Amino acid sequence: MRTGLSAIIALAFVQGTALAQMRAPTASEAACEEPTLRCATKATPAFGPDGTLWLVWMAGGQVSVASSQDAGRSFSAPTHVTTRRLNLDWGPDARPKIVVDRKGGIALAFSTFRDEAFNGEVFYTRSADGGKSFAEPKPITGNNESQRFEALALDQDGTVFAAWLDKRNRVAAKEAGRKYEGAALFFASSRDGGATYAEAALAREGTCECCRLGLAFAAPGRPVAIFRNIFEGGARDHAVMTFTDVATPGEVRRISNDDWQINACPHHGPSLTVAPNGTYHVVWYTNGKTRKGLFYAHSRDEGRSFSTPMALGQPGRNPTRPFVLSGPAGTVMVWKEFDGEKTSVQMTLSRDDGETWSPPKTIASTSDTSDHPLLISNGKQTYLSWMTKADGYRLTAIEDQP
Amino acid sequence: MRFRFAGFAGLVALIASAAALAASPALKPFERGTWQSVLRGHAGRPVLVHFWGVTCGPCKVELPLLGQFAKDHPDVDVVTVSADLVPNLPAATQSMLDKAGLSSTENFIFNDGFVERLRFEIDPAWQGDIPRTMLISREGTVTTIEGSAEMADLEKWSAQQNSKH
Repeated sequence: MRTGLSAIIALAFVQGTALAQMRAPTASEAACEEPTLRCATKATPAFGPDGTLWLVWMAGGQVSVASSQDAGRSFSAPTHVTTRRLNLDWGPDARPKIVVDRKGGIALAFSTFRDEAFNGEVFYTRSADGGKSFAEPKPITGNNESQRFEALALDQDGTVFAAWLDKRNRVAAKEAGRKYEGAALFFASSRDGGATYAEAALAREGTCECCRLGLAFAAPGRPVAIFRNIFEGGARDHAVMTFTDVATPGEVRRISNDDWQINACPHHGPSLTVAPNGTYHVVWYTNGKTRKGLFYAHSRDEGRSFSTPMALGQPGRNPTRPFVLSGPAGTVMVWKEFDGEKTSVQMTLSRDDGETWSPPKTIASTSDTSDHPLLISNGKQTYLSWMTKADGYRLTAIEDQP
Repeated sequence: MRFRFAGFAGLVALIASAAALAASPALKPFERGTWQSVLRGHAGRPVLVHFWGVTCGPCKVELPLLGQFAKDHPDVDVVTVSADLVPNLPAATQSMLDKAGLSSTENFIFNDGFVERLRFEIDPAWQGDIPRTMLISREGTVTTIEGSAEMADLEKWSAQQNSKH
């Protein structure tokens, strides 16, 4: 065994040398191939009830979790959620998800590619001992078609709500000779903090299949999801759905008529936050006939109507990956821009519930590839959470500026 | 032992991936500066550059149609670029190209982890959505088709290139 392994290592080394000569050292998105945070390509944060920062990341084909007591400067020894190298979904909009409940229970979800056709499988797991150990990850649904782009949200009463894009209905469509476009929005909820989930149910057929979802609670017991829908004529424009309760989907409400008729994978999903007063703030990317780029809008009537879309970012600098969060200082938006050499994170803040916004400001930058910029709040302060290849993980306080 | 086995499986996967790239000399790495060299290399000829990826559903449908187009139009230089994010999958990429009848075209695969920079060099407005086709005339005029291309449109463009010649 040992001899065999050595031979393989030697072969890998030779191959590696050959590759190094052929490839630039920058060929990977990851800084390294270990399961450590430094090697992560995607990292997702959550604050615990005691102010502890929790981080889940994917690196080296594994999902790991660690916590920080000093706002991201140092982290605890990581707990490996997975015990072997997996074919984790490495799509641009995929990432592991985390919510931490009031009792400190940690619920996770992540997806893998289950076959060579890139059909996905969503797994969930939970830690009941403060992140020291996690239960064996289990599929969130018994269906074995394809699930990807899961999202988790936590209700006030500790209910964990999960939503994802699911392609199970393409089988019946195919058998009936019908064309099946996109995917479907499915959901399930957990009353035990993410230890078990109810049977998966359909919320909406005919969504785009390759963009992340946004998920929040509009009010106790009422989840709201934002997703790229497929409207009539094949327009892949955005919609929100406010659920009546965690078991009952609501109406699909269009956010804007961008008229992006495209049979392609934008790999570029939206973001949603609900302010304490109930206002929905949404950001999205489109390349439609009506408008192109990143846009923001808000709704004060649960998505029945939205404000006129407001463009974000400098068009010549490829604004991407918008994220929005209502926090203690107001509503914050971040997105990435690229100037030909460096990627920067731009930030703007609204103190009047989205009516007016501060001039965009660069709050971070990096000279190599990076994860999407995310926002997180502990109730006192809003932070930018950003994983970068060159500079590692960063948690940056959003300045409380006038 | 379990850990060792996991490491072993990882190595096998690494070697399989490395071997696949080594065994596919036709699949060229697309890196910083490659775009300009493609433009220079085909200057004065009609070129169709197709950006696609193995994880993209609509791409799987379009690729064989493009293979037929390339076969029917030897006068057009067809170039494909697998623009999925790295880690890219050379073996799967080559296999799909072979099945689509695109083994003998000039085929690239993204080989720089900083994809924003690669895309910016090609088109600063491109956010990475695939499929995407760029039609470059003899004079260098670029027409971009976002999403799946209609073969009729490609035929029309090709005919225009010949009529001008």
